[in-house]
Amino acid sequence: MSEGLKIIVPIKQVPETTEVEFDEETGTLKREGVAAIINPFDEFAIEEGLRLKEKHGGEVNVLTMGPPWAADALRDAIAMGADKGWLVTDRAFAGADTWATSLTLAKSIEKMDGYDLIICGLKTTDGDTGQTGPEMAEHLNIPHVCYVNEIIDVKDGKVVLKRNLDDGVETLEAPLPLLITVGKDINQPRLATLRGRIKAKKAEIKEITNSDLQLDPKEIGLEGSFTRVVKIFEPEQHEAGEVVEGTVEELVDAIYQKLQECKVI
Amino acid sequence: MKWFPVSLKRSRSNRKMPEFAELTPEHRAELESIVGKENVSSTQEDLDKHAIDESPLDPHPPTLVVKPGSTSEVSRVLKLANENMIPVTPQGSRTGLSGASHPIHAGIALSLERMNRIIEIDEDNLMAVMEPGVLISDAHEAIAKHGLYYPPDPGQESGSVGGNISTNAGGMRAMKYGVTRDFINGLEVVLASGEVIEMGGKNIKDSTGYSLIDLIIGSEGTLGVVTKATLRLIPQFKYTALIYAPFKSTIDAANTVREIVRQKIMPFGLEYMTQHTVLTVEKYLERKLPDNSHPAYLIVAVEANTKEELERQLETAGEICLDMGAVDAYIADTAQRQNQIWEARKAVFDAYLAMYTLDEADICIPRSKIPEYVERAEAIGEKYGVLLAPVGHAGDGNLHYNIIKLDETPEEEWPELMESALSDLIDMSHEMGGTASGEHGLGYTKRHYLVREVGSTQVELMKGIKAVFDPKGILNPSKVWV
Repeated sequence: MSEGLKIIVPIKQVPETTEVEFDEETGTLKREGVAAIINPFDEFAIEEGLRLKEKHGGEVNVLTMGPPWAADALRDAIAMGADKGWLVTDRAFAGADTWATSLTLAKSIEKMDGYDLIICGLKTTDGDTGQTGPEMAEHLNIPHVCYVNEIIDVKDGKVVLKRNLDDGVETLEAPLPLLITVGKDINQPRLATLRGRIKAKKAEIKEITNSDLQLDPKEIGLEGSFTRVVKIFEPEQHEAGEVVEGTVEELVDAIYQKLQECKVI
Repeated sequence: MKWFPVSLKRSRSNRKMPEFAELTPEHRAELESIVGKENVSSTQEDLDKHAIDESPLDPHPPTLVVKPGSTSEVSRVLKLANENMIPVTPQGSRTGLSGASHPIHAGIALSLERMNRIIEIDEDNLMAVMEPGVLISDAHEAIAKHGLYYPPDPGQESGSVGGNISTNAGGMRAMKYGVTRDFINGLEVVLASGEVIEMGGKNIKDSTGYSLIDLIIGSEGTLGVVTKATLRLIPQFKYTALIYAPFKSTIDAANTVREIVRQKIMPFGLEYMTQHTVLTVEKYLERKLPDNSHPAYLIVAVEANTKEELERQLETAGEICLDMGAVDAYIADTAQRQNQIWEARKAVFDAYLAMYTLDEADICIPRSKIPEYVERAEAIGEKYGVLLAPVGHAGDGNLHYNIIKLDETPEEEWPELMESALSDLIDMSHEMGGTASGEHGLGYTKRHYLVREVGSTQVELMKGIKAVFDPKGILNPSKVWV
């Protein structure tokens, strides 16, 4: 890799707050009036991309699909140090589920300047599916590894990486090109700098529309989606339980007292 | 004239004090009938807990800890204490840094912790009414739910509203908004006699008579016990962001503060830290700040109602930092990233307290003097062989110098070295037109510095005021002055 690594980081703009209101009729989130930020998991992906670039050379391209203002997320990533931003935007893409989104993104990636490694955030804080990354890899017909929390080395067209699983730590070797998804243990994302922001403001954002991709309208957007959100509701909030510590005797007393207070006994 | 080091006097009681009575079993029974048996305690655990604050002063356990639940209970407790010459030390959450809530003469530790109700958040008048035991963090959270803000924002968020009033606390936003005194609009106070008085309220303007409310604020529990407070609120700004700027020298950072003010930008927060502080807090929190490899840092926090205005302020302030020698200007604009940096800033004192033996100076000078002060203070550290780690609300001139014991300093030499360094730091503040305490109060450990700052005429006026409010001298005796 004499010219370094070509890295693509697909990102998504999400509402900043956790207290988002829903439109119960359409089953979508009400995004008006809520500040939009880069999906926090995607920041780990951007940071990992930047670190690899610092080590191996190359470039980091960020990509997002969304309305025109989603370009703000790309500029935020450029302010952190990403090289170029690509905005996939077309009314025809609207209402896509993870399948249609991953297809559209995969086709867009094929229109970009080539890639060795695609790094995605594990999931988004709004959709929370964790599917778009792996599905993209399937559409691109490349291998993928999820839940990566350390990239040990990249050399000779291979990546050695580590991921924590429920029953242990797995060290894997995978060939490039490759797609990985990363979690929050992998790094601590950097802050953008003022110089970075000024550069990002002037940066050219390349747009990809369906006239570039020429995808069948049946494959994209709402029509190309296999899944529908039929109902959206806020999960019931549970209050945190009380933790009591002490010796067995103290705990028995504490429980007895609690039960009495609750008038159970 | 060189003053007698305070440390040598710290453990002695004040001989000019009135003769206080001991609490008897009869007193206890009466107190129990007022506040309930479960709210009067003399368990070792409670006595230990209520014997200290966060200052390095040795503990002063009370005889009894009494926890009233209402104004009338406070009133009856004080009446009993006053009639029987029992000293009373009002306590909030005991996070003070100058020993103000130490029960120096034992007696009753009057803990207001149960009086922690937020009574009202009045969106029409932009006021909040609450009891003194409400924690500042809880007050901020409740008020924020209404899209409003109570600007005083001291680092110690587990401090109580009553404690903040008693010390006239300031915090991170004083540069733009002022201090607690500027946001307290009304108080209900119980006098030493037990009489309950109300001052102020929800009126923005008030020109009737002397402002007793301003006497109570900052009186460190020596004039009366606050049982209810009316806080002024302001609407929250829609957007906030901050710059974290590393500098190649402490002087560059100090000069930048002056330049930001000159350029007519009014950040709501402008904080100064050195590398020692950044490394200490990183170790304490077990996480990294955006940079830790430079001698000095500024945090510049701005707010606006439009993104464009926020961006303009960020760019202007950021350019000033870079022009003045910042090596970079990191920008945190999401709530999460800003919180991470504020959390780190607010953990500074706890981090130092956990890792070192120290006391903290709380000087406040006109902010134009900051560069000179920072430069000259280094010599004080060298002179006494102590480590000085300044952390400051640089925007308002309030610099906290953590005076830290070096490992090689013998324990027995430490108190005097610490006090001498503190004394020199305060002298230098006075020389530049500054004060001995910007926001912590003088309490017990720094009371010797009052006369040095304001002179004996003013101290006598204060003593006269005290005698009117509390003729028998039962309320928080031996505090504020010697």
